[in-house]
Amino acid sequence: MGQISATPSPPTSNSLVSRLASYIFDVRFLGVLGQIAFIIVLILGARTLFSNFAGNAAKLGEAQFICRDGSFSYRCAYDFMDNEAGFDISDAPLEYTNTDSYWWAFYNGVLNTFRVGLLAVVATTILGTLAGIARMSENWLVAKIALAYVEIIRNTPLLIQLLLIYFSIILALPDIKEAVQPFGLPIFLSNRGLNLPWPLLMSSASAWVAFLVLGAIQFQVLWILLGKREEVTGHKSNRLIWGVIGFIVIASIGWFVSSSVADNEGLLVARGSRIREIEDIEKIMLSRAGVNHVDDFKTLSDEKREEVALKICVLRDSASEPNFTNKLRAMSIPYDVDRAGSPDRATADFVEGNCEVFAAPKSVLAAEIATLENPGAHLIVPIKETPVVWHIPHFEGFNVVGGYSMTGEFFALFIGLTVFYAGGLAEEVRAGIMSVSKGQTEAARALGLSEAQRLQLIVLPQALRVVIPPLISTYLSLMKDTSLGLAVAFPEMYLISQTLLNQSGRALQIMIIIMLVYLSISLTFSVLLNWYNSRVVFVER
Amino acid sequence: MTTLTKAFEERRKTFAKRFNWEYFLLDNLTGSRALTIWVTVLFLVTLGTFIVQLGVAPGRTLILTLIWAAGIAMVVAGELFGLHTPISRWLKDNLLSSVSNTLVTLLILLLVAQVSSGIWHWGYTTATFDSTRTAPDVRSEGATWGVLWGARKLILTGTLSPEHTWRVVLAGVMVIVLWLLSFIATRPSIKASMGYLQRISIILWLMAPIAAYILLAGIAPSEQLISISTLLTGLVIVLALMGLLWFFKVITLDPVSIAVWVLAWPVGYLIWQLIGRTGLFPPINVDEWGGLLLTIIFAIAVNLLSFPLGILLALGRRADVQGIPGWLVWPVAIMATVYFLATNTPELWTTSRNNIERLLALWPLLILIVAYFYMRAFHGNLVQAFSVVFIELIRGVPLITLLFMAIVMAPFFSATGEAIKNFWAVIVGYTIFSAAYMAELVRGGLQAIPKGQYEAADSLGFNVLQKYRFIILPQALRILIPPLAGSVIGTFKSSSLVALVGMFDLVGIVRGIIGNGQWLGLRSELYAFMFVLYFVVSSGVSWYSRRLEERTGLGVR
Repeated sequence: MGQISATPSPPTSNSLVSRLASYIFDVRFLGVLGQIAFIIVLILGARTLFSNFAGNAAKLGEAQFICRDGSFSYRCAYDFMDNEAGFDISDAPLEYTNTDSYWWAFYNGVLNTFRVGLLAVVATTILGTLAGIARMSENWLVAKIALAYVEIIRNTPLLIQLLLIYFSIILALPDIKEAVQPFGLPIFLSNRGLNLPWPLLMSSASAWVAFLVLGAIQFQVLWILLGKREEVTGHKSNRLIWGVIGFIVIASIGWFVSSSVADNEGLLVARGSRIREIEDIEKIMLSRAGVNHVDDFKTLSDEKREEVALKICVLRDSASEPNFTNKLRAMSIPYDVDRAGSPDRATADFVEGNCEVFAAPKSVLAAEIATLENPGAHLIVPIKETPVVWHIPHFEGFNVVGGYSMTGEFFALFIGLTVFYAGGLAEEVRAGIMSVSKGQTEAARALGLSEAQRLQLIVLPQALRVVIPPLISTYLSLMKDTSLGLAVAFPEMYLISQTLLNQSGRALQIMIIIMLVYLSISLTFSVLLNWYNSRVVFVER
Repeated sequence: MTTLTKAFEERRKTFAKRFNWEYFLLDNLTGSRALTIWVTVLFLVTLGTFIVQLGVAPGRTLILTLIWAAGIAMVVAGELFGLHTPISRWLKDNLLSSVSNTLVTLLILLLVAQVSSGIWHWGYTTATFDSTRTAPDVRSEGATWGVLWGARKLILTGTLSPEHTWRVVLAGVMVIVLWLLSFIATRPSIKASMGYLQRISIILWLMAPIAAYILLAGIAPSEQLISISTLLTGLVIVLALMGLLWFFKVITLDPVSIAVWVLAWPVGYLIWQLIGRTGLFPPINVDEWGGLLLTIIFAIAVNLLSFPLGILLALGRRADVQGIPGWLVWPVAIMATVYFLATNTPELWTTSRNNIERLLALWPLLILIVAYFYMRAFHGNLVQAFSVVFIELIRGVPLITLLFMAIVMAPFFSATGEAIKNFWAVIVGYTIFSAAYMAELVRGGLQAIPKGQYEAADSLGFNVLQKYRFIILPQALRILIPPLAGSVIGTFKSSSLVALVGMFDLVGIVRGIIGNGQWLGLRSELYAFMFVLYFVVSSGVSWYSRRLEERTGLGVR
């Protein structure tokens, strides 16, 4: 940009006055003067606002800055956050009860924001890329449908899409009792949300992960060695396939080794129960139900099943539960789970006779057994484990338990954000791919590069340079729009802060915290964007 | 007979020439492992869908499949026996070019048919359209569209009392008439014969916001007809503005324009007061506005207000004024830091209760940090610093936070401690938000103008105002038409968010309608209606902007 100043006209006389005047009327000098005046106005304005606030805070919300001892001080602005929250969060990611503090409630909300936001970011990237590619499909129908999707999504407000998805689609799904199970898989889709099978890591998983790392190293070594041989001999050696096979072999060896060596899981049973190893359970249950074969358990009536069911205590959200119950289900033994919040609670249940066995890691059980009145009357039965165990959702009464469960609200917000932002992303992806000129593709073919090489070496590096900056702003907008969880009652940060505000009446304090969180999210994304832009400097043609 | 065999033989030969199983399989199935897997999976999915659909709706599925098969037959006939028609050629190019494409076509046909028949079934076949049959106990299983007619008053104007409806209608008629006028005025034949018509329509458009305000918000009748002090203050402000613009050579003065400028304020003021006196348009509480009316008001007002503010912010962000020099900033900052460290920190430090408060007691050091970043990033350029910080802060937080802040925080910061009307609070918050985004758009447009244009304006001796008024902005705004249209649509769409802070715009009033006993639970109908409404308006605006772009010749380079 050109300079704004007009250089002062040459002084006609050399008198001091005209010299001074020529300096004073210099635009640069006036500009600086104006900015100083502006700073003073800003500071004065801030002072006025602050004094207004101080006056009004006393008038409008007397308790805004009350300390616990009843005195009034600005330093006590955030004291109320230690108070008991007193409200429930329907979908708290961490252990939360309404007796926890406001801070804890807010923290749960922040985690929820990130949970739904980051998951939606991943899903948006996938769906947006697919839709962007579909826009350029050679199949007319696919291209037109992708176009219709993009146009419809981009021309309607996210809020209304969310409301439609939540109220007209999710809440219109069948009741949990008749949950949809697509293709008969253990996936339960109902108006309460979605339950998915979810892998849980057992304690032996660390050993398995070591094997996986070993496999990865093997892959890398093989890749380099065979690559060198390829260079020397000129023969193709299928190094990808050999590497993958080697990896699978090592991973499965690791699986068997770590599951046979592992001895971490156990069952706490009474000595009188005659359970000495896990197979004994089957015999005991057979005799209790009065049947001859495990298959006959299925023929029992519901009441009978309930009556004979094996009563199990477990810790809530522990991996020991699926590890044990999966085995029971494999033997088709009916069982009844009692989930306790803490080991002591579970042990108490066990002592009271609410359950016959208590499944947990051996270390926990050993510690608990020591607290019992007569440790000698109890023993720990080992259970086999695998490094990873699938927690499979299933019916328990009228509820689906287990696996990874998304509430309907979470699901609606997740789907809504994903569908909305993927529509925008599709256009960005398309623009990125179109920005790579056709000559580049032709040149790559002329050089004899394979299709994969062409994509990897020629098209993607150039397309990504165009796609990634808008992609990052899309992510940022998505993170900010998680605040629309308010519309579908998903307890993310904004909704929780609203509840906090209604309960405590501290508007300013809460607004400041949520602004800070959102600003730090956007700052992170800006830093990311700047870092990427500085790395991939656009070369002007 | 022989001719027939001969003809057949010929066809067979061409067939053999045109078709080779090996190549066909290689191209469509066995070319690579990935292709084989993809086609197999696709085949299985399509087959599964077909079987499921056959169970759900046999007739529809069979007809679609037959059409699809007929299409394949046409393409095969065309390809192998040279019997192409335009249709079969199109089908071959676009829908049935390979085995995988053919399968995808059938799959999508079946899925689209299922979805659209589901919507049709709900929205038309089993729906009722009678506005008297909307109560929960007499509804059919499909949509109950009667609610749209039954609740039309609420949907259109919300809680506005019915006695004012004629004013809303009048405002709507005014806009339509004006639009027609400018439409007629821009026709080439009319433009040639009656050029003044366009001038008139522009002037009327400029007056329209005031007229709309009088119609929709009304004027409170004042005690005295003319307050001399208001009249004179206004006049002085107008004349000062005129003088400033004249000084910077943005406007030129001739007797007519001087007369217009001088008379504009007194005449306008007088007319305003007179209309107030007549009591024709008694004031309406702005928080009574609702429904579509409020949505439209938000969309238009926020767009109009944020546009100039956005341009200002963008210009501020690019302003290249001489910054406050370091020799001035640093001493002041250091003195302020030392002063507060000496006076404020000890007191805070001694009374602090934990480490965080001890850290906060050192807040004067923040002055130094701010000064450092101010000098480093902006070289003392306050205009730029202010614009950048403002824009980035606003863009960093979600819109509803800002709206909520505007509503909740306004009474805390006002001098009297009284709440301002929610409507005005939301307008302010929303305009600020929209302006920050607009500023980034305009900045993009300004950056797209070649540097030579700026330099040319400088070398011609234009001052800043002239440079932007005559050289830069006309070009930048033309480039900006598509993104501005996008932003206008965005503002219109996002205006639905005001419902979340308790305003009764379209979405807000619809939530009220759903809760009303007569229409209890008729969500999907109303949401679908809003969905379509927003879609139509947004697509309309983007279509219009594309047309505008074509007309200004920007598309042609």
